[in-house]
Amino acid sequence: MDRAILLLSVMCLGVSSQPITDSQRMFSIAVSRVQHLHLLAQRLFSEFESSLPTEEQRQLNKIFLQDFCNSDYIISPIDKHETQRSSVLKLLSISYRLVESWEFPSRSLSGGSSPRNQISPKLFDLKSGILHLIRANQDAEELFPDTSTLQLAPYGNYYQSLQADDSLRRNYELLACFKKDMHKVETYLTVAKCRLSPEANCTL
Amino acid sequence: MMRNVGGVIVLSLLLVFVQLAAGESFSPPGTPKNIICRSPEKETFTCWWEPGSDGGLPTTYALYYRKENSDTVYECPDYKTAGKNSCFFNKNDTSIWVTYNITVVATNALGRAFSDPVEIDVVYIVMPNPPEEVTVTVIEDTNWPFLRVSWEPPEKADTRSGWITLIYELRIKLENEDEWEVHPAGQQKVFNIFSLRPDSTYHVQVRCKPDHGFWSEWSGTTFVKVPDYFPRERSMWILIAVFAAFIILTFTFIWLSYMKIHNLKHYVLPPVPGPKIKGFDKKALKNGKFEDIFSSLVVSDFPPTTSNYEDFIVENLEVFVPEEQELIMEDSKDLQDDSIKSENSTCDNDSGRGSCDSHTLLIDKGGGDKEEALQSDQEGSQDERVPTSPEEVMEEDLLACCDEKNSPDISEKVKFTPSLISPLPRYNLMNQPNPPEIGKKHCLSDSLLNPDSLPSYFTQPPSTKNDFRSNPWECNFNHKQHPLHPQTTGKEHLQVQNEISWVHVDRTEASLGVQAPSVRSTEYVEVQRVSGGNMVLLHPVSAGQENSGTMSHQTEHYSRVKTVNNDSGLLLLQKESTGEEMGICLSEEEVESRATSNGYTASITPTSEKPMVGINSTLPILDDRMASGYVDTATMFGLPTY
Repeated sequence: MDRAILLLSVMCLGVSSQPITDSQRMFSIAVSRVQHLHLLAQRLFSEFESSLPTEEQRQLNKIFLQDFCNSDYIISPIDKHETQRSSVLKLLSISYRLVESWEFPSRSLSGGSSPRNQISPKLFDLKSGILHLIRANQDAEELFPDTSTLQLAPYGNYYQSLQADDSLRRNYELLACFKKDMHKVETYLTVAKCRLSPEANCTL
Repeated sequence: MMRNVGGVIVLSLLLVFVQLAAGESFSPPGTPKNIICRSPEKETFTCWWEPGSDGGLPTTYALYYRKENSDTVYECPDYKTAGKNSCFFNKNDTSIWVTYNITVVATNALGRAFSDPVEIDVVYIVMPNPPEEVTVTVIEDTNWPFLRVSWEPPEKADTRSGWITLIYELRIKLENEDEWEVHPAGQQKVFNIFSLRPDSTYHVQVRCKPDHGFWSEWSGTTFVKVPDYFPRERSMWILIAVFAAFIILTFTFIWLSYMKIHNLKHYVLPPVPGPKIKGFDKKALKNGKFEDIFSSLVVSDFPPTTSNYEDFIVENLEVFVPEEQELIMEDSKDLQDDSIKSENSTCDNDSGRGSCDSHTLLIDKGGGDKEEALQSDQEGSQDERVPTSPEEVMEEDLLACCDEKNSPDISEKVKFTPSLISPLPRYNLMNQPNPPEIGKKHCLSDSLLNPDSLPSYFTQPPSTKNDFRSNPWECNFNHKQHPLHPQTTGKEHLQVQNEISWVHVDRTEASLGVQAPSVRSTEYVEVQRVSGGNMVLLHPVSAGQENSGTMSHQTEHYSRVKTVNNDSGLLLLQKESTGEEMGICLSEEEVESRATSNGYTASITPTSEKPMVGINSTLPILDDRMASGYVDTATMFGLPTY
């Protein structure tokens, strides 16, 4: 159904003379989806963390600093100023890359409870939506300069570097990184949406 | 230099020594605790810590942090902006989605203390400032005013660019209450509150929260006073009116259903009594031949000239025999037979229940008392019914003894229709100033003549010209009495309602006694004479006496009419003493003044002041069978054996 909506929106984009309204709706859809994913990630992380004994939690916290998230190679604005300075398209592309980077590792997250199983398909749908948004906004913007970055991220290297020694630690890292990245995408998409909306008061 | 150092060492040692001598102990500082970091707008953040014990020495605190993926240790750039024991990170030092590792170190002369490291991500420690510019206004457009609360996001939070998404919550309470009413408001900045209490003050507060963060503090209380208003809900009044009408209708229906329709109909539309004038032809009236009608009422030989009351003795008593016995009247060759018979089966509407199936028939329980049909041996038999001979009558009466046929009350009772007792206006012999000779009145009970062959105590000889029988209980005077009729009409007499039907006991050899139902014996009372001044002489016919006829002829009994029921009954006072004359003397005064035991009272227009003579004991006539309103003359005339 999401795809149907997206397809419909694309068709409307092609026909309609008001792409902004359609993109706004698509933005809203994308934002709501990523919000849901972020909440899911938050819940998974807190469940995982609460299931650990206190001592291990501290250790994991310390370890986490020294490890990397798989999406660290993606350069993304890390404060408001940078974010607002970025263009909508840049924000969209970064979001796209972030979501894409998690497409493969999310399968390792799956398994067990049903919410985990929903992560991968939802990520896929989100990625498709962002792609549509990019294409919708790409007309107004110049072509994305660094298309090379759109390619698959070398996250595989990351996972090769990792030694599958501690599954607990790995789960912790995965969940924490996933949560953070989802929040990033949510923020970028929200900012991009508010920038495109004609109302000055972006409260939607 | 060395001296200085030495001096310092000596001093410090002295200090320690002094302190030790003083009993105090210095120690390294305690570890700082509870490091809390908060960011108001996701752009800057501040950390606060709780210092531990200072160990008695001046202690300094320092905050060091490390960012993720880096080992560089930085110290807090600003210790002052956020107050004591705090560290403020400005925009340049704040990175989002970056994990900070923060440690606070307490240092005093004796040592250092490191706090536990705290990892924070600015994104998840956002606690905005309370909403600002909370305004509450009372909207009074309709009869029901409501509150409109509006506010603004905190100044620092950048919701416009979408950097922060805030959701709001407000709470309200009455001034003197303790419980707050919380309303989540989502992302809107306006909220309406309804269902207000008039003339009261409310307190309103608002707070906000980012999508992933902490709730802010409640804003300052805003006071609002709701004016006094009276809610006039029109629909409520309509609903109340409809409901009340419905209840009233329901009760009315219940009341109507309890009240018998019959009673109600009678209450609203009382039955109009038909004319019960002997000789009055209703049909002729309908035809419009008034001359014939009135002429029939005129009796030529009225007033009667004969003074012998015996001439007016009517000896018509009809007794209803049981089913297997024929009606006496059937043998009658009287002219009135047909009409009577035709009217036998008809139940007059005016006659009431007694006309058809009245249970107010006497039951002859007496051993020797038997019902007998008395027949009149009137001189004029033109209007007489019951042609059967007394013997026959007696015979039949014997057969119709109610003792034998006691099973159904009706069959053995003499049914007195109201007409029997109902005083017809023209029969107001009482009103006659000089009705010396008033023949007996034969009261015919039509009901007695019904096909059921009910025994009847009395038969009412029809008048000569009475083809009308509106009331089967008409008491007809004998023909000789007819002349009285027209005069009666012209006289002031009993009121219509006081029609008195004369019931008289024929002097027959039949020894029948009409008794009160209680006595269960019937005796026949024969009206011997109707004296002037509303006196009717009743001649009891003692039962079981063969020559009762003659004896009855001789004896006269006066019985005072106790009351005359409204067109139904004549209550006679029965004289206990035997052998005394018993007559029915009607005295309006007495009648009026007396009230029957059953309450059958009839007011008779007093035209004669003559009191009754020969007061008899009260006839225990009235009983529940007369409840129908009609007095059985039989019961009225319940007399002990004479």
